[in-house]
Amino acid sequence: MPKWPYKGKEYDMDEDGFLQDWEAWEEGMAPELAKMEGVELDDRHWELIRYLRDYYIKYQIAPPIKMLVKEMAKAFGPEKGNTKYLYQLFPGGPAKQACKFAGLPKPTGCV
Amino acid sequence: MAVAEKKMAVAEKKTEKAWGKIVDAGLDEGIKKLTPEKIEKVINKALAAMGGARLKTYVDTCIHCGLCSEACHHYLSNDRDPSFAPVAKVKQTMWPILKNKGRVTPEFIRRAAEIAYTECNLCKRCSMYCPFGIDMAYILLSVRRICHLLGVTPLYLQDTAHSHAVTMNQMWVKQDDWIDTVQWQEEEIRAEIKNPRIPIDKEGADIMYSVIGPEPKFQAQLMGQAAIIMNVAGINWTYPSFDGWDNSDMAMYSGDHEIMGRVKRAHFEAAFRLKAKKIVMGECGHAFRSIYDVGNRWLGLKMPPVPVIHAIQFYYELLREGRIKIAKKFKEPVTLHDPCNVIRGRGLGEMARYVTNAICEDFTEMQPNREYNFCCCAGGGVINCGPPWAKKRAISNRVKAEQMKETGAHIVITPCHNCHSGIEDIIKYYKLGMHTKFFSEILVEVMEIPEEFKVG
Repeated sequence: MPKWPYKGKEYDMDEDGFLQDWEAWEEGMAPELAKMEGVELDDRHWELIRYLRDYYIKYQIAPPIKMLVKEMAKAFGPEKGNTKYLYQLFPGGPAKQACKFAGLPKPTGCV
Repeated sequence: MAVAEKKMAVAEKKTEKAWGKIVDAGLDEGIKKLTPEKIEKVINKALAAMGGARLKTYVDTCIHCGLCSEACHHYLSNDRDPSFAPVAKVKQTMWPILKNKGRVTPEFIRRAAEIAYTECNLCKRCSMYCPFGIDMAYILLSVRRICHLLGVTPLYLQDTAHSHAVTMNQMWVKQDDWIDTVQWQEEEIRAEIKNPRIPIDKEGADIMYSVIGPEPKFQAQLMGQAAIIMNVAGINWTYPSFDGWDNSDMAMYSGDHEIMGRVKRAHFEAAFRLKAKKIVMGECGHAFRSIYDVGNRWLGLKMPPVPVIHAIQFYYELLREGRIKIAKKFKEPVTLHDPCNVIRGRGLGEMARYVTNAICEDFTEMQPNREYNFCCCAGGGVINCGPPWAKKRAISNRVKAEQMKETGAHIVITPCHNCHSGIEDIIKYYKLGMHTKFFSEILVEVMEIPEEFKVG
């Protein structure tokens, strides 16, 4: 399994670039993980990353996209609460990018 | 047996060179609970239940000519390593199982599972080159059936099968989430067209439209696009609010036939309950196979009990009949990937080309194409085996990368979810700088929006 170096330590990372242990994640990792995919994080990304983490801790599963979009609408106003806007923030989509930056495992299924 | 094991050890060593030892708890922990006695009992019970005539005919008919080798993307991409030839995959799995009447070791099962789940996409390209047309996919699916019954299945794939068992959909989507997502998509596409409707549980609709789990879970925009097409074309359609909305069936690929049958039945029953005239399914490949090849047969049906139309055919009919008109064709250079389950398996190749030419200006074919096209290496449930196998999947499809690169296209049209994600992975791994798109994404971009649907 590939190792990912971060602050002098090595972390297990799977072949799709997801952290193996979601509990090992810390906030400083997210910008580094995002950089690898050419995404620069700002407040809008962080809003969703924190929401994803909280949801996962409560339910042990990533939230459906509608929850993420509704969260965006709450945080940034209704004109930004749509799927297109979410995909502008995370071009790879919620499963393959937002979850990855948040240190969550790759969701199972046809993704 | 000793010889077979020795050969397997050699094959194992070879695979280690390319991607190292792959850890998958589903396989590694799965075999720990096995004993040779248990394996023998389970295999013989499984073979008896399968009937065995089809399997025996295929195995006995094969003359070991090896013509299938050159057909396989795993074989070609791994520098013609003979252990990846389709015949070699059968030789390393079903032959010893039958020859030894089920007396094989747990380690043998571990290797057989790895071959059946991750080194064969069940794409049937090899069957096109077999002088007898032997259905290798059926043989490898039978190996998977045995592995499932032994409890040795890749972890990520098994999670998906569990989701089917619990929720009847593949991504643990709850009914309220499903309904809420459908209604939310109706709201969302109000920005695109005027007064859109996504009818839920409309009895007697001409079409029950069905999707796969990832759409409501993460790719809801695809449901929105389908709704725009339906509204503009004036289709009398509906979604069920209840189980059966998900047409996918990963239990088919894990070897869990019982769950596969339940999932398929739920899908058909939903159409009956709504008194829908037919089902139209979105751009998915394996879901289509599950209703015309595998799932229907398990239910004792030669063909689905209600007509099921794939999105490619549906778009073809809409365009041909002029129900959807094109305002301005898509300009970027495109190529078309032929998904095995709709093109090789069901002959929709010409319809796919009709649609491509109708909506795109600059279309270059991959070579070879249509039913001879190379697989995406994601299908057959292989991408569903998850991250542990991702690198192996990319290395084993170099041939696809070369094939796509030669077209010079920027966009690869992939009318299947597995192909869509798998080819995106190949593009990334080989740095091809291309992107994948579904037909619906392009169609919605280029179609004419009639005056009465224009917003504002």
